[in-house]
Amino acid sequence: MFEFCVEPSQLQGLTWLSCYLTTGKHMAFYTSFGTVLLLLALTAPTALLFGFCGAVASRSAIAPLRWIGRTYVAMVRGVPDIVFFLFVPIALDQGFEYIRHMALCPEVTEPIRRGNDFVVCTAAKLPLNADPQWMHETYGFLLAVLSFAIVFGAFAGNTLRGAFEAVPKAQIETAQAYGMTSRQLFWRILLPQMWIYALPGLSNLWAILTKATPLLFLLGVEDIVYWARELGSMKTSAFSYPHPNWQLWYFLGLLVFYLLLTWVSDRAFARLMARFNLGQGRTGSDTAAAGVGR
Amino acid sequence: MTSTSVITLRQVRKNYGALEVLKGINLEAREGEVISLIGSSGSGKSTLLRCINLLETCHDGVIEFCGEPVRWQGSGVTRQPADKAQVIRMRTQLSMVFQQFNLWAHMTILGNVIEAPVTVLGRDRNAAVEEALALLDKVGIADKAEAYPAQLSGGQQQRAAIARALAMKPKALLFDEPTSALDPELEQEVVKVIQQLAAEGRTMVLVTHDMKLAHDVSSHVIFLNQGVVEEEGPPDAVFGSPKTDRLRQFLHATSPAVAGA
Repeated sequence: MFEFCVEPSQLQGLTWLSCYLTTGKHMAFYTSFGTVLLLLALTAPTALLFGFCGAVASRSAIAPLRWIGRTYVAMVRGVPDIVFFLFVPIALDQGFEYIRHMALCPEVTEPIRRGNDFVVCTAAKLPLNADPQWMHETYGFLLAVLSFAIVFGAFAGNTLRGAFEAVPKAQIETAQAYGMTSRQLFWRILLPQMWIYALPGLSNLWAILTKATPLLFLLGVEDIVYWARELGSMKTSAFSYPHPNWQLWYFLGLLVFYLLLTWVSDRAFARLMARFNLGQGRTGSDTAAAGVGR
Repeated sequence: MTSTSVITLRQVRKNYGALEVLKGINLEAREGEVISLIGSSGSGKSTLLRCINLLETCHDGVIEFCGEPVRWQGSGVTRQPADKAQVIRMRTQLSMVFQQFNLWAHMTILGNVIEAPVTVLGRDRNAAVEEALALLDKVGIADKAEAYPAQLSGGQQQRAAIARALAMKPKALLFDEPTSALDPELEQEVVKVIQQLAAEGRTMVLVTHDMKLAHDVSSHVIFLNQGVVEEEGPPDAVFGSPKTDRLRQFLHATSPAVAGA
């Protein structure tokens, strides 16, 4: 990184450290924090959207929609996360490739499934073999986002469904008495009132999602846990920057990162909660008192 | 006083399972009339009120609104209003005031008052705000426009709910025990508003336990007992010289002072 880092074996003390901490691999390590944050930033709204659709479907008056919604929630809730994370990305990947194969190579007559192999024509590969490395990485990352969103969407769906049902019947009945259609009732009364009941569950879910990000490693994305293990392990003199096993320090760093992340999100949720509380049968003084405490 | 009928019920019946709660009720509210429904708990008076704006479905009988009968499909306990648009149109012209106020908790008082006029009736927002502020002023809580329901006393909330009802410019107002959830001192501020509305000649159907209120504002009082109209008439007759034993007992038990007047 720095010009004086050309000959690492000649360096001492802080200079050595500054060179050590700015190697290419360390840069990849720092970038992976961004990867985790990006995963959270993309997954949370997607999961919320899935959950929202699941919750609305499972409360639908149309029976098939209701079955789809309930099956989705029940299935994901009933299967261990880790099994799901191993299964969903592969299934999604093969699913996409299967559809592309059918669309792009209709002339190929051999079956796609050959024993344990899943063979699609070259043009159907995702991404194409010829695509640059970053596309392969992005594709893997997006599969990971989708998998996380499907799993956490089911939990969010359950939370949201409960929240919809927790809105007092009197509030809904009043809207009906004033002539609202069920659509107006949903958008004007049910949805705005539902959040206060959903927030505690969603904040929990967010904390679990935050702590589940190391599962990215399982999906082949090089996340912060992967790099902490990689960089912290003992480096012999064959490396430019030999050092004993420093994994403890690297993992301490991760610990601080995760603690900070959850602390910041807790504060954000507390503020949201205070905002919603204002209009929900809790008086302003409660909200004010809660504000003073922080 | 004109005699256009706003609400007409003929032989309205309703069951909850095997229990028949309304056993053929007739009621007519003409323009400018205030009809009070009195009776002990479980007599069916709130159910009757809720049947009028179709929050509950009555299983037999005719409901007419300004001469237009509600269209039904099915019969008996499976009977449902046939025309959703008709239901909504009728509801927008019959504003309901609830015992527990039922202000929408996530909106300010002003938001509550303009909500249905803007969302349901599609009125211009600025005009609705102007009217809402005038109505809040009329019920004496103009300074609470920006407050949330939870920040108000029960009496203030009920007055806000009345402003919300008036904002719809309804043909009739339905009151479901509007003062029953209030302390005696808060009750009076709501009673005054209801008296004022009656004096303005608004058409109202009022379910109440407050015999003095019923006596003061009504043009016609209906005493319901176990799902039937036991006795009815002008307030002076009903409260002054009750004909049936049931009504005499009821009046004696609820408000001896009025019964003796």
